[in-house]
Amino acid sequence: MRGRKVITRRDFLRGTAYTAFATAFGSSLKGEVKAEEKVKIILIRDEKVIDPQGRINQKILQEMLDQGVCKLLGEENPVQAWKKLIKPTDIVGIKSNVWAYLPTPKELEDAIQQRIMDVGVQKKDISIGDRDILNNPVFRSSTALINVRPLRTHHWSGIGGCIKNYVMFVSAPWLYHSDACSPLASIWNKSIVKGKTRLNILSLIRTQFYNRGAHHFDRRFVSEYKGLLIGKDPVALDAIGARLLQLQRIAYFGEDRPLDTTPNHIFVADEKYKLGVSDLNRIEIIKLGWMEGVLI
Amino acid sequence: MAVFFLSVFIFITVLATGVWPAFPVESNKMKIEMKKLLPLEVGMFQSEGKDQFYDRKTTFRYMDGAAELYRSYGFKLLMVCRYVKVDHSPIIVELFHMGSSEDAFGIFSYETGEEEVGIGQGSDYGGGLLRFWKGKYFANVFAEREALSMRRDILSIGHPIAGNIKKEGHKPRLIQFLPGEGLSEKSLRYFHLHQVLNHHYFISHQNILHLGEQTKGVLATYLPQETKEKTFLLLVQYPTKKLAETAFHSFVKAYMPEASHFRTIKTENGKWISAQPHDHYILVVFDAPSQGKAEALIEATRNNLEKRLP
Repeated sequence: MRGRKVITRRDFLRGTAYTAFATAFGSSLKGEVKAEEKVKIILIRDEKVIDPQGRINQKILQEMLDQGVCKLLGEENPVQAWKKLIKPTDIVGIKSNVWAYLPTPKELEDAIQQRIMDVGVQKKDISIGDRDILNNPVFRSSTALINVRPLRTHHWSGIGGCIKNYVMFVSAPWLYHSDACSPLASIWNKSIVKGKTRLNILSLIRTQFYNRGAHHFDRRFVSEYKGLLIGKDPVALDAIGARLLQLQRIAYFGEDRPLDTTPNHIFVADEKYKLGVSDLNRIEIIKLGWMEGVLI
Repeated sequence: MAVFFLSVFIFITVLATGVWPAFPVESNKMKIEMKKLLPLEVGMFQSEGKDQFYDRKTTFRYMDGAAELYRSYGFKLLMVCRYVKVDHSPIIVELFHMGSSEDAFGIFSYETGEEEVGIGQGSDYGGGLLRFWKGKYFANVFAEREALSMRRDILSIGHPIAGNIKKEGHKPRLIQFLPGEGLSEKSLRYFHLHQVLNHHYFISHQNILHLGEQTKGVLATYLPQETKEKTFLLLVQYPTKKLAETAFHSFVKAYMPEASHFRTIKTENGKWISAQPHDHYILVVFDAPSQGKAEALIEATRNNLEKRLP
C-alpha cells in the first residue's frame, strides 16, 4: 500500500475519486487511450435463453456459446473455433462455480464440454470442478483450463468474476482475502494454473448486482440479463462485469449504491500482476444478439 | 513436546486471527448446547437430522468468502439444520455461536431495515430471510426456494428457536454513550473492521482509523427534527489511549488534513465534520447540518463518556 494515494469519501464528494484511482493504480481512466491494441471481448444475449418457467434452454445457450466463440476467434464453424483453443491431446479442466445460490448453469458446463469433446478430447480427459479441484486428477494434470462462472457482487472482493474463480486452486483461500482480495491474481502464476487458461466465460444469464442476506444473496437483486461475456482476458471480462453490475444497481435503485468493497483486485491484476487489461478505454466489446436493456 | 507444539499452535492462531481457537472439548460442549436449541419438529416440519457444524476455519467450505463477515466478529461455531415438509420448500436454519452477545448484536446490526417480527432480542424479515439475535446467538432462517407459504413457515421455525435460547444478552456497551435525542435506534451498527464500517458509511478504502479485531466501533444515524437529513456519529474504542491517539492522527491526516486544532470543518457536500479523541476513544460526526450541530453532538457524547466511564 505504501506510496498509494489514500482515497477517501471526500474524493467522491469532490468527484475526483476516479482520478484518485487512476493515480493510485496507474490506470488511464481519464479517457486517454494508450497506444496498445484494444482487448476484444464478446457480449452475446438471447431473450429466449430463459423460458417463462425460469428454465435455461440448452439449445439456445449452445448457440450463444458457439456464436460468441466463433466471433472471438474469427471462425465460421464452432468446432474449428474451439480447435484454436484446445488440442485433442489436451487434458482439460473446466473450472466452474458451485455456489448454491447462483452456480454456473449446468447447461453452460455441458455446452462447453460438448465442444471440447467435438475437438477430439476424450471424456475421461475432461473434468468440470470447483471446490475439489486440488484433489481432482484431471485438474492436477491438466494442460488446458476453461474458466467459467456467473457474475455477482461479492462481500469481500467487490465482485466475483473470472479472476476470483481460481481461488480454489489454493489450499487456503482465506489467505488471499486481505486488502479487498487484491492478491487474487497472484494465484494465476501458480504452476497448476499458469499459462493454461484458453478461454474465460462470465455467465450473465443471471447476475447478482447487490448483496444482502445470509450468504450475501437475495433473490430480489438477481437480474435475468440473459447473456454471456466471452474473452481470453480475465481482467477485461471482470472490469466490464464490474461496470455492468454498477449500471444494474443504478437501474434498479435509481442511484449508485456502492459495493461493500471496491473490486481493487481487478486493477491490481492489471497493474501489479500484468494478468490483463482493466482500463475500460482499452476494451472493445463486440455485442451480438438481443440488445434491450443491455446497459453497457 | 506435545504441549510445546500446542502452545505454538495457539500462539500462531491468536496472532493470525486475534481470536482464541475453540478447543475440541469446548467445541463439543458448544455443539451439545446448540443441538438443544434447534427443535426436531416444528408443526409438520421435521429436521432432516443431518446437522452440520463449521468452525472459524471450516466455515469457508460452507459459505465461501461470505464467511469473512462472520469471522470479522468473534464467531465460534455454526450449526446448519434443514427442515423439510411435504409440498413445502425446505427451510434452512443457520445458528451461529458468536462468542458474546455484543458480537451477536454486531452481526445482526450489519443488515437491518426490513420488518421487525418480534423474534429474539432483535429481528429483521424480508425477501424470504429472517435474521435475529438473542444472547450470544445469531440466526439466519430462510427458504431454499421461493414459495407462497415462505414467510409463515420461516417465522414458525424462528419463534421456537428463539424461545429455546433462555439467556438474553447485552448490546455493546458503547451504545450507552450515544446521545439519545434524534437517534435512530434501528440504524445502530456495531463492528470491528473498516470493511464493515465502509459497508455502512464509506470512509476510505484504506484503514485510516486503524480498526482491527481488538477495536470496537459503533456507527449511529441521527435524524434531526428540523431537517430530517442524516447525521452520522462514529464512536470507536481502542485497547489503549496511545492507539486511539495514533489512529486519530492518521484519520485527520488522511480525511481532514486542512483541520486546525478545532477539528471541525465544512466538507464538499456543504455539511460539517467534527472529530475528537477522548481517552481510549475517537468520536467523529459526519454530515452535520451546521458547525454548531456537529460540535454539540461531539460534546454530548464526550459528556456521556465522562459521566458513565468508571
